This record gives sequence, C-alpha cells and structure tokens, in this order.
Amino acid sequence: MSEQLTADVTIDARGAGCPGPLMDLIGKVKTADSGTVLKLQTSDRGSVTDVPEWVEKAGHELVETVEHDDYWSIYVQKA
Amino acid sequence: MNGYALVIATDEFEKITAASIIGSIAAASDIPVDVFVTMNGLRPFEHEVVETRDFATGPLGEAMLTSEETEVPLFTEQFRDAKEMGPMNLYACTMAMEMWGRELDDYVDIFDGELGVSGFLTKASDKQVVFV
Repeated sequence: MSEQLTADVTIDARGAGCPGPLMDLIGKVKTADSGTVLKLQTSDRGSVTDVPEWVEKAGHELVETVEHDDYWSIYVQKA
Repeated sequence: MNGYALVIATDEFEKITAASIIGSIAAASDIPVDVFVTMNGLRPFEHEVVETRDFATGPLGEAMLTSEETEVPLFTEQFRDAKEMGPMNLYACTMAMEMWGRELDDYVDIFDGELGVSGFLTKASDKQVVFV
C-alpha cells in the first residue's frame, strides 16, 4: 500500500524535533502549486498527530500516514 | 480577534522556547503574532548570553540544549525562521532595556524595534494576549 504512494516533493525532517517538521512542511506547502503531493518524513512522534491537525485546519488533504521502523511518512496534498 | 500578542517577561529557557514554538507555527500559518519582550525576558536575547548559552534552564532545557538525537532549534533561530515565513514582529520593551542599561544592538538581530506599554497595547488591541 505505502509503496504505491508517490510524492512530488519529499521533505526529510528526520532527526528534527517539534516544531521543525511542521515548519518545514508549511514552508514547502506555501511555495507548492495546488494539487502537489508532499511527503514529510519525520521521526518526531508528536508530528504524527500534530501535522494532520494543521493540514485539516489549513484546508489541505491528508492522503496517508505510513509508519516505518523508526520514522513516519506523512503524505499531504495541497488544496 | 486577529492573532496573538505574546508577552515574554520570564528568563526561563523552557518558557521562552515554548512561546517561540507556538508563535512560530501561528505565524507560519499566516496568523499575525506580535511578541513583546520585557523585564527579565530580555536577558536571554543578549548576544553574549546566546553565544555562551548562559540561559536559566531547568532539566528539560538542559536536555534540549545538549540532545544529540533530536535537533531542537534555539528560540532565537525559531523566531528568525518564523519571521521569514509569516506575519511575526518582535519588540523589546524600552523601559526594561533602560533598566538593563542596554540598547537594541545588544540583542540578537530579530527585533523589529522597541516599544513602550502604550505601543504594545495598541498592537495587542485586536489580539489574544498570552503572557509568559
């Protein structure tokens, strides 16, 4: 399932603590075109719940969150 | 309400860090944020204090400053990044600066200017005030 997901932009924020991953995502979302799919890689457990909260409030779409051994990939599509 | 007015009156590293995180995400999300740094809160923004990491820290602050596993940006860097991404302005309290015997140049270069109480109240008039 997760291997079939594709992203236009990959953000590797592994190793960064809160709010680094979300700040990185927001920065990329702001400059991306509508419809762009972004993959945020994060090892910060808090981002797994915090990023979807921001995505919903900002009006974008949370495509999927994929758990790996020691990090997560959060796929977001810009509205 | 149109954003947040953060008052930083503490020199406690953890509280300032928390304020920088919350304010940064708000500003990056295009929510206006004005930060008013006053009283003891000004000291951690001094060049020398930042360079020597001479902060008033508790156990968590120590862990944040020394962690090798998790990269946690210093609050000054956090504010600087936020200012580049959204509507955030930082102001130093004129009265507190005078009491400390400092000028704006004595602080890290993230302030947009200095303010008195009336100036801050004007900027905060349409915002939710958060006091730290």
